[in-house]
Amino acid sequence: MAKVAYYPGCALKDRSSHLDRSARDATLKLGFELDELPTWTCCGAVPPVSEERVMNLVAPSRILKDVRDSGRDVLVTICDFCYNTLKRTNYSIRNNEITRRRVNAFLADDEPERDYIEKKEEQWVDYTGDVRVVHLMEYLRDEVGYDAINRNLTRPLEGLKIAPYYGCVMLRPQNEIQLDDPENPAIIEDFVSALGADPVSYPYRTECCGSYLSVSSPDASTRLCYRILTSAQKHGADAMVISCPLCFYNLDSRQKAIAESYPDFKQIPVFYFTQLLSLALGVEEGRQGFDRHFVDVAPVLDMIREKTGKGGRE
Amino acid sequence: MKRIGVFVCHCGINIAETVDVKKVAEEVSKLDGVVFAQDYIYMCSDPGQALVREKIKQEKLDGVIIAACSPSLHESTFRAAAEEAGLNPWQCEIANIREQCSWVHDDRSRATSKAIRIVSTMVEKTRLNESLEPIPVEITKKALVIGGGIAGIQAALDIADAGYKVILVEKDSSIGGHMAQLSETFPTLDCSQCILTPKMVAAGKHRNIELMTYSEVEEVSGYVGNFNVRIRRKAPCVDWSICTGCGTCMDRCPAKVPSEFDRGLSTHGAIYIPFPQAVPNKPVIDRDSCIYFKTGKCRLCEKSCEIEAIRFDQEDEIIEEEVGAIITATGYETLPVLDLKEYGGGDVPDVIDGLAFERLLSASGPTSGEVRRPSDGKVPKEVVFVQCAGSRDPERYRPYCSKICCMYTTKHALLYKHRVHDGQPYIFYIDIRTGGKGYEEFYHNAEEDEGIVYLRGKVAKIFRDGEKTVVWGTDTLTGRNVEIEADLVVLATALVPRESTAELVKKLRIQTGPNGFLSEAHPKLRPVESINSGFFIAGVAQGPKDIPETVAQASGAACKVISLFARDHLEQDPAIAWVDEDLCGGCRICISVCPYDAREYDEEKGIATVNEALCEGCGSCVAACACGATQQRNLSDSQIKSMVTASLGGE
Repeated sequence: MAKVAYYPGCALKDRSSHLDRSARDATLKLGFELDELPTWTCCGAVPPVSEERVMNLVAPSRILKDVRDSGRDVLVTICDFCYNTLKRTNYSIRNNEITRRRVNAFLADDEPERDYIEKKEEQWVDYTGDVRVVHLMEYLRDEVGYDAINRNLTRPLEGLKIAPYYGCVMLRPQNEIQLDDPENPAIIEDFVSALGADPVSYPYRTECCGSYLSVSSPDASTRLCYRILTSAQKHGADAMVISCPLCFYNLDSRQKAIAESYPDFKQIPVFYFTQLLSLALGVEEGRQGFDRHFVDVAPVLDMIREKTGKGGRE
Repeated sequence: MKRIGVFVCHCGINIAETVDVKKVAEEVSKLDGVVFAQDYIYMCSDPGQALVREKIKQEKLDGVIIAACSPSLHESTFRAAAEEAGLNPWQCEIANIREQCSWVHDDRSRATSKAIRIVSTMVEKTRLNESLEPIPVEITKKALVIGGGIAGIQAALDIADAGYKVILVEKDSSIGGHMAQLSETFPTLDCSQCILTPKMVAAGKHRNIELMTYSEVEEVSGYVGNFNVRIRRKAPCVDWSICTGCGTCMDRCPAKVPSEFDRGLSTHGAIYIPFPQAVPNKPVIDRDSCIYFKTGKCRLCEKSCEIEAIRFDQEDEIIEEEVGAIITATGYETLPVLDLKEYGGGDVPDVIDGLAFERLLSASGPTSGEVRRPSDGKVPKEVVFVQCAGSRDPERYRPYCSKICCMYTTKHALLYKHRVHDGQPYIFYIDIRTGGKGYEEFYHNAEEDEGIVYLRGKVAKIFRDGEKTVVWGTDTLTGRNVEIEADLVVLATALVPRESTAELVKKLRIQTGPNGFLSEAHPKLRPVESINSGFFIAGVAQGPKDIPETVAQASGAACKVISLFARDHLEQDPAIAWVDEDLCGGCRICISVCPYDAREYDEEKGIATVNEALCEGCGSCVAACACGATQQRNLSDSQIKSMVTASLGGE
């Protein structure tokens, strides 16, 4: 089975390991394996690329260099923050000669400590940004193909109205990320369609969820999440789909606080894209970790069961 | 040996304060061949020039050096003075000791020694200068104007009124351009059609103007005074020589095509005249939309035409013309609303651009001048105008200011208010720029007396919510976010050069700047000329500008053409490249480096020659020539060598 180099990142290794498991299950169904890097560190989760300090780029660069050293040229991530950090680090290395030289000087410096004995005979080769950092959603769109996914569905999510939510870092800055138009994206909508569901169009899909404000000023995040969720509901959404663990956490966990502040608010289940993929490809229910959600997803699961019961492809 | 005279100018204190001009004169007088050297307070003044003339005669000088300001300022002044005194003008040289010395240095003694070297360098050059004669070039006294908007019309009329022939080429079937689409014009609010149509008619009827509408320039060759032009007259599928423009065919045509003139707010048939006041008032068939061309059936227009003017089998015609000068006035497009996704471009029907709003305001427009929104035809009660939509946004769209939007948006809000009295217009702006006669007063009146709400800030997002079009913006004066549920949104989209202009400039071999607008020869002092001789520019094709400025620039370009044609023949500067035929090996490197297409290959002799009429004397080929066969007149290799030696202080 084909293997693709895979970087899970911290959130998906710990608190959100069910989202990681969903991704691994789903991709196996699609005929390839997410091959986790044997050793990896924290990528830095966006702050490294938000200020111009070369030191901050060393950790993500080492991850990329390890991928290259293992003879591979594609690295898949499933977290928007990891994707953004690794891709932009790679962009800096590829396009800025001074950054490239300085980062490599740091990397070369710790090389002897890491594997001097094993690789004694090998020549040092600068990392020049050759690895392609790919979001799993992007890999599904461009390498696997949404059509192919649709053909492989055993439990198409027919009739389900799902609102895509993009968050902030998946698409920006456009000149470096180049995944989709940040003002008018379609990649998640098309993903939802590929799963057989109907994507819901609503104006707040690219607005901020509050990100880290969830820690420092939770009220602000609560207000922002309220606007996003109610806008999606107003346009008919049964559920939300997200590709960032922090957005996922905010939009899921904040709903309790939202209900306290806004009496008119009704809860709406939130899914990670890997969970829906895993469900639709027929992975056994229960492996997606739905019991770890703050908002009960049972109503949506019931809808899916009802549909598949009435002539799904199983 | 030549007898050389040196005249050192003080330029008041501009030179004399930093450079010891007396010492310069004294030192250079010691150089070989310098028989006379003197300083004077203002060489360019009448007495200064008289001194030059007098000394040329008295001292029997056969070379003169004026040590003064840049040659771009006064070279022609002193060469004329020298000529008056009987000296060949090319024996007079300028040593620039102002811009390149006194203005940029403080240290008097070092500046003085540098000035001495600069003058010595020119002494070396002058020693070997040949006497040259200007090269005469014949002129075809007929102009080509490309683009039939207000700029092209004005330029064509001015040239034609001066008695010269003009060919006015327009790609659409009628002249008029964007100005014909406008409702009323700022700041006087006079009707655009009313002031434009008389000019259109005058251009159409002028005995010196040959109108070629529905035509495009295919190819241009030649040089100033003698261009050869190939023009494609697209087939209108109607015999215009007999068509009376009665319009019966248009009434019968069953096809429905969105009207480009009405910005898609109305439709016309596949055979159509873009607007009622068109000049010429003759229809064309849009082959892509014509049912007969698509299916082979219909021909209703042909059946309806009593004089039998429809010609389905008509073919494009290629016309060859000779002209002496070319004015490019190809105008602009606006950034498509479709490109502005964050503003709902293409998704929200009630988001339109300024030109579409002009059509809604126009008495001859699709709504007969009533403001009705596209989605459902209702009269909008709240209208948001967004300025700088795609302008002043270097990261995502265009970096420059589109210049006219502040004024026309104010005009839009004002005209809207005049038609919908209980309506509320809002204008989002970055700055209000009202540079122009009567413009600031116009804006003040609108802001203070007409109840228009100005919000200083950018709009982030526009989306549709039910019947409403929601605008999210920010008011930077209060620091608050603003949300307006509007009925209609009008975007003041950036002015951009036409896509076809990029193609055209390649054919003309003229330059454009970083944003695709035509480049002028000098941003201040030569604003209507291209850097290539014989090419002139006018209108928004050169950069965003309003109607008065466009008309002024067009008249300026026309005037340049007229002054060119007023001469018997052109005089080309002879200080250009020449070829030593015995040395040239025919490698043709020169041809590849020449930016003016002045180098040609002579098959018979097997050498590369210089077209003297095209050569601008830039020296590229001289530098590139591997065997030294190409030399610049009065800037030969031996001259340059001795000049370099002199500039380094002698040895």
